Amino acid sequence: MPEGLANRLREHRAERELTQAALAEMVGVSRKTINTVENGVFVPSTTLALKLARALGCSVEALFSLEQD
Amino acid sequence: MTSTDYETAERLGRKRARILPVFAIFFLMQQASYFSGPNVDTGRPVDHIRIAAWLVMSIVLLVVLANGGYWFRSREVRALMNDEATQAHRTDAFRFGFFAAMIACVGLYVLGWFEPLGGRDVIHVVMSCGIGAALVRFGMLERRAYRDA
Repeated sequence: MPEGLANRLREHRAERELTQAALAEMVGVSRKTINTVENGVFVPSTTLALKLARALGCSVEALFSLEQD
Repeated sequence: MTSTDYETAERLGRKRARILPVFAIFFLMQQASYFSGPNVDTGRPVDHIRIAAWLVMSIVLLVVLANGGYWFRSREVRALMNDEATQAHRTDAFRFGFFAAMIACVGLYVLGWFEPLGGRDVIHVVMSCGIGAALVRFGMLERRAYRDA
C-alpha cells in the first residue's frame, strides 16, 4: 500500500454484505479493481473513490484516510 | 452493462493474465532462432518470412499491450477489461519495458565497441527486450491483481 493511506473498503463492503463482484457492478469496474483497492495495491482515482463511497452510502473519508489522521 | 458483461470480462481478464507471459516466452524464444539462424542478408525467402513473422508478432503484441486486445468483444466488456487498475498496470508495464529497452541499448552500445552490429539486429534486440519485459510485467501485475479476487 502506498505509504500513509489507510483504506477500509473491505470492512464497509462486508458490513453491507456485498461481494466484490456485486460492488464492482455497482460502480462499473472489474472485480479485480475492487480487489486491488481492498488489498492496498492500487489507489483509485477520485472519481472511483466517489463512486465507491456513493455505492456504500458513506463518505470518501470513511473509506480512505491518511494514516496520521 | 449486464452481469454477463462482468462475468465475461472477469473470465477473459484472467485468461489474458495467464496467456501474456506465455506469449512473452514464445516471443523471446523466437529471438534464439533469429540469432542462431543464417543472416537475413543471404536473401533466402524463408529468412525474409521469418523476419516478417517476428515483425508482425511484435506489432500485434505491442497493440495488445497498448489497448488490451479482444478487439471483437463488445465495447462494454472491453471497457471492463481496461478499467482503472488495468490502465495502471499497463502504464507500469510500459515503464518497465522502456527501462528494459534502454538497458538493452546500453548493452548493445558496449558490445559495439568489440564487434560490429547490424542495424536490423540492434532493432531486433531492443524491440524484443522492450516488448518482452512489458508483457511479462503486465501479466505479472494482472495475475497478482486477480489473486484472492
